[in-house]
Amino acid sequence: MTVAIVLLALLGSAWLLAVIEGWMTTGRLSPAAPLYSGLAHLGRESIVPRSPDRVFFEAAPVLLLVVAVLGMAVLPLAPDLIIADLGTGALFINAALAYVLVAVIMAGWGPDGAYAMIGGWRFLGQLIAYSMLIVMPITAVAMRAESLVNTAIVSSQAGLWNIVYQPLGFVLFFIAAMALAFRAPFDLPTAEGDLGGGVDAEYTGVRLAVLRLARLTLVVTLASATTVFYLGGWHGPLFPPWAWSLVKTLAVAVSMLLVGRYLPRIREADLMRWCWILGIPLALVNIIIVGLLILVVP
Amino acid sequence: MSGTQQYLLLLGMALGTVGVVLSLYGLARIMGPAQREPGKDVPASSGVLSRDPVWGRYHARYYGYALLFLAFDMEMAFMYPWAVVYKEVGMVALLDMGVFLAILFLGLLYGWSQGAFRRQ
Amino acid sequence: MSSDLTINSTGARQKRPSLLQKLVSRALARNLSCLIVPGPEVALAHGLDIRAAGLRISTTPRDASVLMIVGDISEKMCDAVAVLYAQMPRPRAILLVGGQTPSTLPGADISSGLSQDQLTEAVGRLERAFADGAFVDSPEEFDSSVLHARIEYVCPMHPEVVEDEPGSCPKCGMDLVAREAGESTPDHEHHHDHEHHRHEHEHYHDQEQQSHHDHEHHHDHQHHHDHKHQHGESDDHSEHEHSGHDHGEHDHSGHDHEEHDHGGHDHGASGFMSMIEVTKDLPRSADGLQMDWLEVPFGPVFPGLPGGLKLTLTLDGDGVTEGQATSLVGMATEGEGSEESQESEGSQESEEMDADTFIEHLASAIPLAPVSYRLLACLAIEQAAGLSDDQATTQARNSALERERIASHLGWLAQSGRQLGFAWLTQRASTLQLKVRDAGRDRIAELEPELRTLGTRLERTPLLKSRLKGIGVLPVDSSDLRGPVARAAEDGGDAWARLWQRLDEIAASLELLKSGEEPELPVLRDIGNASGTGKATVDTPRGEARLSLKLEHGKVKSYKLDTACSHHIDLVPKLVEGQELGDALLAVGSLDLSPWEVIS
Repeated sequence: MTVAIVLLALLGSAWLLAVIEGWMTTGRLSPAAPLYSGLAHLGRESIVPRSPDRVFFEAAPVLLLVVAVLGMAVLPLAPDLIIADLGTGALFINAALAYVLVAVIMAGWGPDGAYAMIGGWRFLGQLIAYSMLIVMPITAVAMRAESLVNTAIVSSQAGLWNIVYQPLGFVLFFIAAMALAFRAPFDLPTAEGDLGGGVDAEYTGVRLAVLRLARLTLVVTLASATTVFYLGGWHGPLFPPWAWSLVKTLAVAVSMLLVGRYLPRIREADLMRWCWILGIPLALVNIIIVGLLILVVP
Repeated sequence: MSGTQQYLLLLGMALGTVGVVLSLYGLARIMGPAQREPGKDVPASSGVLSRDPVWGRYHARYYGYALLFLAFDMEMAFMYPWAVVYKEVGMVALLDMGVFLAILFLGLLYGWSQGAFRRQ
Repeated sequence: MSSDLTINSTGARQKRPSLLQKLVSRALARNLSCLIVPGPEVALAHGLDIRAAGLRISTTPRDASVLMIVGDISEKMCDAVAVLYAQMPRPRAILLVGGQTPSTLPGADISSGLSQDQLTEAVGRLERAFADGAFVDSPEEFDSSVLHARIEYVCPMHPEVVEDEPGSCPKCGMDLVAREAGESTPDHEHHHDHEHHRHEHEHYHDQEQQSHHDHEHHHDHQHHHDHKHQHGESDDHSEHEHSGHDHGEHDHSGHDHEEHDHGGHDHGASGFMSMIEVTKDLPRSADGLQMDWLEVPFGPVFPGLPGGLKLTLTLDGDGVTEGQATSLVGMATEGEGSEESQESEGSQESEEMDADTFIEHLASAIPLAPVSYRLLACLAIEQAAGLSDDQATTQARNSALERERIASHLGWLAQSGRQLGFAWLTQRASTLQLKVRDAGRDRIAELEPELRTLGTRLERTPLLKSRLKGIGVLPVDSSDLRGPVARAAEDGGDAWARLWQRLDEIAASLELLKSGEEPELPVLRDIGNASGTGKATVDTPRGEARLSLKLEHGKVKSYKLDTACSHHIDLVPKLVEGQELGDALLAVGSLDLSPWEVIS
């Protein structure tokens, strides 16, 4: 039952994001667009490149989707609305998200096309940049909650949300999450202007549909993680807990989609440089500040 | 729910997702076969039929960062358990980790001074 | 064009239409995405609003269901169009907007004129065609000669022996082995140069290669076509020239794609690979590592570059070691663009052309700046005919020129937005371009605040400055710079300076329009039956263009055109060398090259 509700919420959010994405690209807000788009993808041929690395090519979209779904499974929508409340939930998220890199590199290597391959390797550089900024802020969150259990992390924010308690961590995590989801302005592996679609370029028909669904789901999962770690999860007045979780998740997800629209794509060299010279020291400062706060403020 | 059950559930979800995707592929198959035509299966490269294989030794220019990344990623493995017990242990924990991190960040500074943070 | 509105049988999918197919067809019809050839910027310059017509713009053939061809397509682009069509997944359709069917394609599914209304109406027909005809019983295969790799025959022992026919080697008598010819670019002349070809092929298929030799050959080859191109020999070249000449050892059987996996990644037959052995003949990068270099085409239909411009980059990882830009849509030669003149190239004694026809010809050959070239032709002809300037006409014409400058720079901004993944900029700039394109003075005055805020917004956009600053810095000794590129050269000469130069020019043009006459398209004044020679210079949006022509009895006897882009395109190799891929593309983009204005 819980599984069904969470998956429905995930799918519903992805649907909503697809509608908003369609609205941004076509200027029309049509709630049925994802349905038509999905059906149209079913109707199109799904081309397999000649002599691809077939395993990589086929596995990439599926792996990306599985990763996003599993990530969502350990995040709570409400105190009892969680599929698997693992003892190491926060770590599990990390482990699952590491496979995004694997999926992207597989998608890049698989078709034996230059654009896709460069896109895949670019993403490896991107991971090296953003990865520490996912991990280190989560550490600070776990310090406050004294636990890696995701429900405990939400409970620890009952009085004060982490976005207020550790705003620096929130900013770093939000940026890193966008880089992880490779949305604009961090869409280096799929850059159209640089790589004509990059790792997405060789997927057509139903495989493309799965890939797009996976990417939207990933955004939802990351938004949900942001909500759980920083926005107090289900906490909020009046409405039932699950509603708060959903509203916060969607707000974060939509802002992730919108931000990219108003920014040019970042240079990979800049991204790596800023992440390492600015981001990681800041993440460390965040850990130290949180560490002191925990000891000073009871 | 016990830990084992939770992981079984997660495994089930992974398999279920794969199953959904496979049934979508099956549905797409009903729509007819993909026509085999010349040129169609060559990776698209903006209007030029580029048949040359691209797999080869790729020059990843971020290897300077990559080496530093390894060090930091290892460090993170220690950070999680530390974070959980931090409040319990108190100030000592901060100093413990502080020493550890200080060494790492010295490494970061050294790498910076040696030009690790640029495209090679 | 089929009258009953179904899709061409080379575009439909094979399946007897059943209920499910009907449902899916309906969805397909509501979800049309089009790949625009030569590019979205041409559609914009013609005043077509693709989104408003109900089509989604796709950037790759893989994601497109409609191949939309705007205007007439040059001979060289026909091959590219065939490749793109072949790589689109079915069901797919061809939409012709104001042009002829390219020779390499089957007939168009839907044709339309070059106006927004006609386009909207055509999209309606297209939707019906998809709804009714996406699935048919017996589709046909689409085939074209460009889609087939040329098979050539090489001797396993003597790689310099390359024959078109099977047989035995003239040197050792061994049977020749078939292999797929490497590059099948639309540039067929490539294939005559066997020596070059062999090298290039080896570059990809054999790990043992002499890339620097390759590239030297490549350049020799380029020099045949393009004498203007200067190739600076860097120190690196000489340093690594020693890599072996012993071609004899290479195993060419691995080149046959039909039977083998790519040779690209299996480095040898033996289980153990020594890294030193594997890499010993690979090209050496700037940091001393030996890597595979790839020659990757960007264009002619690449989302980050103007359509018709083909950039070929040699990539070492994601860095560019060298690059070359060619135009596939440029004006044919000096003289006329017609077939006859191509044969009498150089002599300039081309066929006569009526003065008005000449003006139309020039304006339509350059879709990104038709007004400027119309004006240029009018001025030159009028001067040849000995007409003196007429104050009012000149002012009205100049207003039209300034209006086009604004529109053209907005088009460049939209194109930059596409390149940068900056969706807001693309949308804003193209909306404004469509509004400004044929606006009167009052309308432009109304639009002025919007145009001016564009600059303010860009100034405030985070990341933009760090993205553009220091990119595409021109070499100090660059000569023949014109237009915004030249004017921005004093101000740092990078992509950021060029952006601001163009924004400033938009502002300056607005001022000029305010004080000037109502813009009026240049129309040739009555020249009668005059003869003479004339010369004119117009500062087009991309820089000065000069035209000199000879008029005889009211007909243009011969002409010589000199454009900014013909010179700017030669800057490309130096701009991209050693840059990261994204930076290199941005540097090329910041030049605002119009491939149409490149005279080959």
